[in-house]
Amino acid sequence: MSTITATLGTDRARRLRAALTVLLAAAVAVGAPFYFAPFQVFQLTMVLLYAVALAGLNLLVGFGGQISLGHGAFFAAGAYTAAVMLDQYDTGHLATLPVAAAGCFLLGLGFGVPALRLRGLYLALVTLAFAVFLPPLLKRLEPVTGGSMGLTVDKLQPPAWSGLAEDQWVYLVVLAVTAVALLLARNLLRSRVGRALLAVRDNESAAEVMGVRLSLHKTLAFAWSAMFAGVAGCLYTWVIGFVSPDSFSFVLSITLLAGLVVGGLGSLYGPLLGAAFVMYVPSVSQDVSEAAPGVVFGLLIITVMFVAPTGLAGLPGRVRAAVARRLPRPAAAPDRTPEAASAPDAKPESQSASEPSATDTPADPAVADAEPVGAPPRTEKE
Amino acid sequence: MSEPTTERTEAAEGAEQPDFLKVTDLHAGYGQARVLQGLDFSVARGEVCAILGPNGAGKTTTLRALCGMVRGRGSVTLNGTQLLGRSPEQAARLGVAHVPEGRGTFNDLTVEENLRVGAHLRSRRRAERAAVAADLERIYGYFPKLRQRSRQAAGSLSGGEQQMLAIGRALMLRPSLLLLDEPSLGLAPLVTRELFEIVRAVNEEERTTVVVVEQNAQLALDIAHRAHVLEAGRLALSGPAAQIREDGQVAEVYLGVSVSARKTG
Repeated sequence: MSTITATLGTDRARRLRAALTVLLAAAVAVGAPFYFAPFQVFQLTMVLLYAVALAGLNLLVGFGGQISLGHGAFFAAGAYTAAVMLDQYDTGHLATLPVAAAGCFLLGLGFGVPALRLRGLYLALVTLAFAVFLPPLLKRLEPVTGGSMGLTVDKLQPPAWSGLAEDQWVYLVVLAVTAVALLLARNLLRSRVGRALLAVRDNESAAEVMGVRLSLHKTLAFAWSAMFAGVAGCLYTWVIGFVSPDSFSFVLSITLLAGLVVGGLGSLYGPLLGAAFVMYVPSVSQDVSEAAPGVVFGLLIITVMFVAPTGLAGLPGRVRAAVARRLPRPAAAPDRTPEAASAPDAKPESQSASEPSATDTPADPAVADAEPVGAPPRTEKE
Repeated sequence: MSEPTTERTEAAEGAEQPDFLKVTDLHAGYGQARVLQGLDFSVARGEVCAILGPNGAGKTTTLRALCGMVRGRGSVTLNGTQLLGRSPEQAARLGVAHVPEGRGTFNDLTVEENLRVGAHLRSRRRAERAAVAADLERIYGYFPKLRQRSRQAAGSLSGGEQQMLAIGRALMLRPSLLLLDEPSLGLAPLVTRELFEIVRAVNEEERTTVVVVEQNAQLALDIAHRAHVLEAGRLALSGPAAQIREDGQVAEVYLGVSVSARKTG
């Protein structure tokens, strides 16, 4: 009985802490454009829209266990959908979002079919081919896409009532879309479909004998993932107001995948960290070395992968695990003050209050990583 | 709920549907390797059937053919419905739950999520959710250890607990046919015994038909009503479990000595 109340207590505490964190993050996120300079606000906007694309890629790679080197192409498809609609049909910005989303979902569905037959590197190669072949195609379709000159369209403009500057308004709109997209990704993963997806990644044949339709779930993973990339592309057009084939070379696809891995595969907030990496690190490496920014960028990726093989999102868990390993020796306590101070108090308590099972949980960073996904699926949706 | 079964062989003979699972002339294999070469046997509804035999005899292949993981020729009917030629997912829909060799738990999911994947086929409707919740309770009733660890990642469980989880997950399907592939593999004898007792309890309380493949013949024969001994893709021996247990020839089969087929059932 006492164990049940104890778990309930920690559960409530955890939920409260999560709610407070979300509120704080929301306040900071909404307040940011009023504090930073316009260019910095623009950079933050780009981080947010890359986070949408990475969240989509994460569904496929992190949770679906498939590799795509072609998500830059879905991103481009979303961006061009928005640009062409604005340029040729003058539909207004809002209308472009659902069309880009639906269009890329269908495109992803189409690409999900080869994904059924191919896996690993072979799938990566096919998707890379898509990413390589799209820019020349865009150049050829000149009447619609503007060829290699690209298309210049209106950026998103703030309505008069808001009294906001353009960069602030754009940031807030992108923030709203990003929040919805990340929430959708999270709920998708906690639903029946998400569980099936994770099961397929963990053990394909065991999932199948449980009645999970492999083909359906793999194809859907691709479609959802492409949809997120398309939405991000659409936002890109809103923010930049210009698309050209050269903005979406296959390097973009590779950058997205690298960003995701650096941020943390299979983590819910890894995409945000990865997006920040994708946005800021190239310019930082430009500052460090004018001559070879690529070298600096590459070295940084290697460093991150060496220090945090589970990505930046997994770093806190690894640090916690490393601290926990040193805890039994009291001599090691002073060097990490905050955690070391609270943890020795907590440990004997939990040992006396709960079954031994609660304490013999291995302090494995990968398990800690999976935790947000592993929470009870209360939010099950149809 | 559970009728006391004094003699398990009698329970088998009293079963109302002797051909609940009927395997006729089953051939199956992997590519060029033909493993099963004409297998015939039946399992009555509510019966525990053990499939024994040396390594490479085709035990695992038999189970895989039953659940659609391996293609087979011949005929396999469950309650009159043909199972051959169906995908594992379709077989699951028909009530076949397979616990694969080496357990196959989803290690990144929690224990409870693993169990919920077992209910994948039926958790869509709102009314069904209460039933799923009740089934979770039922499984936790059989395996109290799983309840303690319901929020833990399956990958952090011990081997025995993972095997329990795999069986629990299969039971979430509410199967009419439960296929167990080497449940004792890599487990301590004590854990294995506990596991087999639970399988016996499930069989007695829910009348679930069970086909269990085992290397550990003694254990399997303890809970089985009927047993078939495979050798090189063919039935070498079949009969009531008690009879097979006493038959010294089982040992010979395990030693690889050929035994003339003596089909008693």
